[in-house]
Amino acid sequence: MFRECTRTELEALRLHLHERKFLAGEIVFDEGEQGEGMYVVISGKLRATRKGLLKKKTLGYIAVGECFGEMALLEAGPRVATVVAEEATTVLAMFRPELVQLAESRPRLGYKIARGVALVMEARLRRIAEGQPEEVAAT
Amino acid sequence: MKDEFPSERSLEHPIIWVAVITGALGSIILLNAVAWLAFPLVLAIVLYYLVQPLLQRLQLSGITPNQALGIFLGAATILTLIASVTILPALFNSLADLQNQLPEYWARLQSVLHNNLLAIEGRFHFAKKAGLADGLQGQIDHFVAGSGKAYLADSILFLVHWLPSLLLVPFLTFFFLRDGTAFHRLILRAVPNAFFEKTLLLFDRMDGQMRAYFRGMFGLTLLDTVSLGLGLWFLGHGPGVFGFWDAMFLGLICAVFAWVPYVGSALGGLVAVATCAVKAPNEGGLLVSVVLLFLGVRLLDEFVYTPMTVGRALRMHPLITVMMIFSGGMLGGVYGLLLAMPLIGIFMVLGQMFGEVWFDPRLRARQQARNLLEKRLASKDLEL
Repeated sequence: MFRECTRTELEALRLHLHERKFLAGEIVFDEGEQGEGMYVVISGKLRATRKGLLKKKTLGYIAVGECFGEMALLEAGPRVATVVAEEATTVLAMFRPELVQLAESRPRLGYKIARGVALVMEARLRRIAEGQPEEVAAT
Repeated sequence: MKDEFPSERSLEHPIIWVAVITGALGSIILLNAVAWLAFPLVLAIVLYYLVQPLLQRLQLSGITPNQALGIFLGAATILTLIASVTILPALFNSLADLQNQLPEYWARLQSVLHNNLLAIEGRFHFAKKAGLADGLQGQIDHFVAGSGKAYLADSILFLVHWLPSLLLVPFLTFFFLRDGTAFHRLILRAVPNAFFEKTLLLFDRMDGQMRAYFRGMFGLTLLDTVSLGLGLWFLGHGPGVFGFWDAMFLGLICAVFAWVPYVGSALGGLVAVATCAVKAPNEGGLLVSVVLLFLGVRLLDEFVYTPMTVGRALRMHPLITVMMIFSGGMLGGVYGLLLAMPLIGIFMVLGQMFGEVWFDPRLRARQQARNLLEKRLASKDLEL
């Protein structure tokens, strides 16, 4: 997502990223909860689930380098899945209000991040359209 | 404004209300105890919120935050130097003139008071019997000869004591501007995972509302100054009471007084009327016009300026407002009067944050689950 950013831009971005550590079994966010930001996995592994009729349905697993909850960066809305840490996990969190602030002060960087989010979402939609198994698009 | 400063929805809990009022009054006592630090700190926060949008505008032109801060500091230093060379000598001359004219003004004020009280005595028998005019004159003479000098000495000592602390203002503002984001992150690091997203959102809302409040107050002060200044100049330049800049300066003083709701506006009006009475004691019509001008600007303030600038920020019941101002004044003197409303505003937002986060059962359950996980992890290899 950040691959188009220059070193200076990444340095500016660093100030707006929050490192959070989750224990195995700890919930990162709940389905239905108002989403405020996205996460990038630095270490560990997470599981995305959605409530079913009788039991929870596992949507998939999120590994190192992947991101989740990115739709909340664009618009506040209810998360469509619950994400739980499968093992001790470290993530970098980025929140919409801070992205807006960053984009106002550095429009070029804001554009790059918005484009990055759009590309991730495009890839997910393409996979769904091609009939591949439901991907993790937890927002 | 889209969001009101405090959301009434999350301030329903009585415990939150008690905590908000106790917190605000407690802070006034605390800040009054360290007034020499509190005053520059508050000024630095206000400056931070006023300057930050300017820096953001500079950054929009493609420069880094540090470069923007450097440009701003350079410009501010140059402006300060220019002001020191041009405005300060004029200001000192005006102060010297004022010092020379002060005994005359003081005598005129006493004369106006004495004449009005004599007029009251002429109309009301009980006032004559009480010797209102002579009694007040005696009190004034006694005060000037005795404790008045001590008050003056105390006031000068007070000024000498806290004026150097104003040097802290640019220092604190610089670090707020440079390291604001880092401080923000440091505070957020202490927030547990379960409450993190919501706290961050509320912090952002609080930041935005504080910025809107201080910028609104700045705009309101400007509008009040211009309206009152122009009005006073229009009324007073004919009889030769006010020059343009005198009127503007008086307008500014009244606009600053108006920072304290209700009480401040009335006090500002009194100052303006007293100034007119001293400068033109025989112009009765002017006094009435000035009172009408104040009422007019008050109405403009209430129905046009405040909704335009501060919005509905800090809108609360007038009874609570007046009680808070007087309690603040009683506990913290002038600081308490000035800080009561901003402080209760800040505590209302903190109360809102706490209410929304702490009284959410799901978030608390998640935090408890985390605590349990931590405990299990810590005692994994132990045979308890």
